[in-house]
Amino acid sequence: MSDFSCVITGGGDSEGPGGADALRASVESVLGQSLRGAEAVVVLAATAAPAVRTAARALADRAPGRVRLIRADPAVRTTGALRNAGLDAADGRYVLVLATGERLQLHACRNLWQAGETSRADLIAGRWSRITDEGGKEREPSWQGELYARSRTLSRFTDAPELVVRDALVTGFCLRREAARRHGLRYEEDLAHGEILFGPLAAAAVGRIALVRRLIVTGRTVPDRARDLAALVEAHRRVANTLLAHGLPGLCEERERAFARDHLVPLARTFPQLPAARRDRVTAAAARALTGSFRSDLPGLPPLERVAVNLLARGDAEGVLTAAYALSRPATVCAPLTTGADSRVAWGGDPERPGIDVTELGHQYRTFGDARLMNRLTRATAERGRLLLEGRLVLPGHSGPAPGTPLTATLEFRARGGARAVAFPVDEVRHDGDGIIWRARADVSRRLRPVGMHDTAWDARLTVTAGGPDGPRSVSDLFAPQDQVEEALRFAARPRLGRLAGDTWEPYITLKDHFALRLTARRRPARTTHRLVRYATRFRPARKAKLLVRSLRKRLDRYRSRGFKVPVYNTWLTRLPVRRGSVVLESHMGTCYGDSPRALYEEIRRQGLKLHATWSYDPSPAGFPDDARLVRRWSWRYLWALARAEYWVDNQGFPQQLHKPRHTTYLQTWHGSAYKRMGFDETRVRLQNAPGRERLQRAVDRFDHFLVRSEHDVNTLARAYRLPEERLLRTGYPRNDALIAERDRAETEGRLPRPPLAGALGLDDHKKTVLYAPTFRGGPGKQRRARLLLDVREFAERFGDTHTLLVRAHYLESARLPLCPPGTVVDVSRHHDVSELLALTDVLITDYSSIMFDFALLDRPVVLYAPDLEAYAAERGSYFDLREEAPGPVTATQEELFATLAELKKSDTRYADRRRAFVRRFGPYDRGDAARRTVAAVFAPGSSRGARHTIDHDRGAGR
Amino acid sequence: MSRDIFIVSNSTDELGGVTAWMHQTARLFAGQGHRVHAIGIHASDLKMALPGQPGQPAHPVTALYPAHPPTPWTPHGVRDRFRLPTRRKEAARVAAKKRAVARLSEIFATARPGAVVIVTQVWAMEWVGEADTTGLRVIGMSHESYGYSRASHRYRWIKNHYKDLDHWLVLTEEDADQWAGDGMNNVGFLPNALSRLPVVPSPRTARTVASIGRLSDQKGIDLLLDAWALVAPARPDWRLRVYGAGEDEAALKARCTGLGLDGSVEWMGRTDDVERALAEASVFVQSSRGEGFPLALLEAMASGVPCAAFDCAPGVREIVRDGEDGLLAPAGDIAALADRLLRLTGNPRLRDAMGARARSGVQRFSEPETLRRWEELFAFLER
Repeated sequence: MSDFSCVITGGGDSEGPGGADALRASVESVLGQSLRGAEAVVVLAATAAPAVRTAARALADRAPGRVRLIRADPAVRTTGALRNAGLDAADGRYVLVLATGERLQLHACRNLWQAGETSRADLIAGRWSRITDEGGKEREPSWQGELYARSRTLSRFTDAPELVVRDALVTGFCLRREAARRHGLRYEEDLAHGEILFGPLAAAAVGRIALVRRLIVTGRTVPDRARDLAALVEAHRRVANTLLAHGLPGLCEERERAFARDHLVPLARTFPQLPAARRDRVTAAAARALTGSFRSDLPGLPPLERVAVNLLARGDAEGVLTAAYALSRPATVCAPLTTGADSRVAWGGDPERPGIDVTELGHQYRTFGDARLMNRLTRATAERGRLLLEGRLVLPGHSGPAPGTPLTATLEFRARGGARAVAFPVDEVRHDGDGIIWRARADVSRRLRPVGMHDTAWDARLTVTAGGPDGPRSVSDLFAPQDQVEEALRFAARPRLGRLAGDTWEPYITLKDHFALRLTARRRPARTTHRLVRYATRFRPARKAKLLVRSLRKRLDRYRSRGFKVPVYNTWLTRLPVRRGSVVLESHMGTCYGDSPRALYEEIRRQGLKLHATWSYDPSPAGFPDDARLVRRWSWRYLWALARAEYWVDNQGFPQQLHKPRHTTYLQTWHGSAYKRMGFDETRVRLQNAPGRERLQRAVDRFDHFLVRSEHDVNTLARAYRLPEERLLRTGYPRNDALIAERDRAETEGRLPRPPLAGALGLDDHKKTVLYAPTFRGGPGKQRRARLLLDVREFAERFGDTHTLLVRAHYLESARLPLCPPGTVVDVSRHHDVSELLALTDVLITDYSSIMFDFALLDRPVVLYAPDLEAYAAERGSYFDLREEAPGPVTATQEELFATLAELKKSDTRYADRRRAFVRRFGPYDRGDAARRTVAAVFAPGSSRGARHTIDHDRGAGR
Repeated sequence: MSRDIFIVSNSTDELGGVTAWMHQTARLFAGQGHRVHAIGIHASDLKMALPGQPGQPAHPVTALYPAHPPTPWTPHGVRDRFRLPTRRKEAARVAAKKRAVARLSEIFATARPGAVVIVTQVWAMEWVGEADTTGLRVIGMSHESYGYSRASHRYRWIKNHYKDLDHWLVLTEEDADQWAGDGMNNVGFLPNALSRLPVVPSPRTARTVASIGRLSDQKGIDLLLDAWALVAPARPDWRLRVYGAGEDEAALKARCTGLGLDGSVEWMGRTDDVERALAEASVFVQSSRGEGFPLALLEAMASGVPCAAFDCAPGVREIVRDGEDGLLAPAGDIAALADRLLRLTGNPRLRDAMGARARSGVQRFSEPETLRRWEELFAFLER
């Protein structure tokens, strides 16, 4: 008796590709196991191919004790039956079934065995990976990470519902043979892909299940969904019925959704690659298989996925093709939309069939020229030596030119990766109900003249202009499935380099399903040239040269890397003589021109001080002032400017690694009072190792002046960064001068007219302006996309008529906002100066952001929306109790927030006193003249020379 | 069945947890009738007292180098390449390494079939990997948490050296899972053993909180002082005793004075009698930034002293079941640690209940239990 029996079948009816090679790979992976007591039970069908038989025999001869060959009865044909025969023949303590081509990881049996022995479980499952469609790369299914986050033992399969909701148990698990026998676990013999059913059946039958976080199986092939759809649906249906029989309708519903997402949507996505006849066959089969029990109105599915599944179930081949295009381009309107009486938007313009709700996509808020429209190429052929193209542009129901509007269009071919484009007139453009039909004849042979090198591919685009040359225009690529262009369609080409560079235009469909032309060589001279060029660029010296060039480039890149710049800066540049009167300013690591550095800069300009200012930007200089020198952060010019500057002004910190030259005065304006713990009070910093903490300490030691706006700042920020008393400037924040001026103006003159920015943002004077500015939730690292906790769309629905929502994501993050009705939600994350936004805001919604300390100065209502207050305060730590001291109501749920907003007028008077107390505590030094006082303290001649301190690393520099 | 077992560590007698573990385990295996040989890559200057009788331990101990071998040299820049003395030194280092590897191979060659090499620290693999280990089963070990390895250069070493080993071990299942998720499928886990259970538990009557550990940055004594600064005003009659010595001693004492804790913190210096120290304490506190499977915590619990600790590694969670036989605070959260200390110092009933549970619970890491798991592992690897 062996420890572990691995059943592998050969020659069954639903075998994957590969045949003998696949069988050999699987069996060899068993023989290579680190657990030496693992045997392979190879079950051969009577109908197996000769190559498979020979391979199996050779393997059995090679390792007679460890490979057992079983020849199945001639009556046994299906893979399921062969596997059952294997299960019968297996004699190991554990038994595992491998599909042909799947390979066990080196330590798979050992890991399963160990988990089985320690947990006494009957089913032990681990991770597996499959060959994804593109390029044969192996990948694990995305849901697997969570399922196998920890190794554990389950008393019942419902403790980990993903096991049966997803196709988790199709491979990579083993059964205690004795338990499999006791529960009579068998493969369904009439079912192709019986493993989809077998796993959940086994999981439901046995008691304890052990999950191990180890990779067990690799090389699983994804089933050919177009071919096997009926079998997949049947297997899925039987699993669903099993779940229902166990009294688990909830899991059954989740499984329906998972099946749609894992099988039906991927199937729909492959449609552009399938030929037309196959598409029709697949949709017909899908319609047959999915009618009846399958619920296609799955509620939890995103809109476009829902559309694809629905159309598949309806058997609408052309519709699924459209949906596939929409799935790969969510921002493109691909089908006519109809708006119902309740302003819900439905997909498809056919009035007889019920539409599928796609209101969420927000297409209804886009107008012609603003929305991307699908342009379906319907015909591509040759007509008297010219390329004849016909197509149809989809118009969504609500917008688009009226039927009578004059339309003009041009067809354009553009060299890929280049700027050259050639335009062709379009013969015919006309309205057609919910679309625009066009037809163009392009004489590509004569008009399209490529150079012949580097511009061999040309993409087609159509531009449609409605109502005269200045009307809205819609630009679209030409979409077509892969089989749209006939093989024989070709045109003569005349490259400028001559016929040797290429002689034929060949229309084709790109990998992204767009129509394009490529220059090819068909005649002998061009073919010979191509072959020669190919040889010259690929033979050994050329390869060597390429490697050399690459390594040289790598070396050059090193000289541009920070690792090189930092030591050069610290040892050499800091020795440069000071440039008197030069200031380097930076706000939020160069991301914006705003905050206190901007206020100081403007004050310096206003006073006319003779200072030479340099602003640092990253990534783009757009929006920065013209009258200052601009340098990109981390560029050589930036380092040069820093090394020679007399003053550094910044609100967050110049790069930590850079030393401050000894002639420089560093004014740290800081970017806000603290609610959450900062600096050395932060848990993350405390846990860092000693060198890490010393680095931070050295960076902080560079500050010569640090602005504070209250004693709270002195007790929190100054202490957290270990700043001595003499470096603190009790002036308040220069950025808040504008807010105090605005408050005074509003008190004396009223709120209207609003600052010009309101007009630029399209704010209505009759609507209230609400600013939503949540705080930074990420840690250090590259993840920069945050999910907003506030459902912006719902806000727009409830308050869109009376309020405008401005959304400002943290400067380190970006938010993706859903499409909302125009004038209800505006993304202001890219706006440079927050103070300007605050000045025109009526109500602020925030959570823990320091923005509340500044906004309170305006004496306008604040609502705190902190659904994760406890968790956040526990994780990040806080300096005071937000509920006690907040300048406004603290809400924990969205409902509460909306209720508070709805009756703000009534409730606000209650909070007016609290707000003033808040300002007294957190911003007493903000009196409206911070910029003037700071400039006087730091930049005025003779003011701060004595305040500058030197630190250790200065000694090395400037000798 | 008697086997030949070689345990290879960085050093034979360096002061530290892993070396202590090596000699403890060697003694255990020898007690089972195995032939044990403890090998250190080098002998150390900072010597620890070897266990057993004063003088020699029961098992043979070999050091390949008399002192820490020089680290490999990689030239930086063009000028460095032509520096002859450095080149000569490097050549000498390579020759010495060759000799050490040969010596190691010689030792391994004496083994009977079924012999096992246990490499306790990944650095030693530089030698074991080059030595002739045919016929031997090599088992790697990492005595620290995944997170702590991840942040250090040892992460690369483990990935390179342990990838092709038959089997290697970390201390807890959670660490093993993390390594497995990182592509190491040959990883298992085996916790450290508690060396001995004191006959009498601590009476838990003294108003003393004890901390035992090197005074180095990793042990986070600075965090403990900050936490104690929050506790001391509320518990004026309690004392914090800090046992241990180390490179940060002066800085820590200065910090203690700065916080005004001189009256309430006692610096006890290094101790060889941990049991007595624990018998004089009622609460044990551990404030490390990183840990593997802390023996100090195990020993305190074996003495029936309830613990307050930072939850800095899976090993800590494994030993202390939070709220049951000790209290855990999120790693680095000083206020939380102070809160746990206040709870333990303020409630004698809680102390007694947790201390008693800790003493009985910690016996799942007893020596016979660990030995059984080792024997099971040896048998398993032969399947």
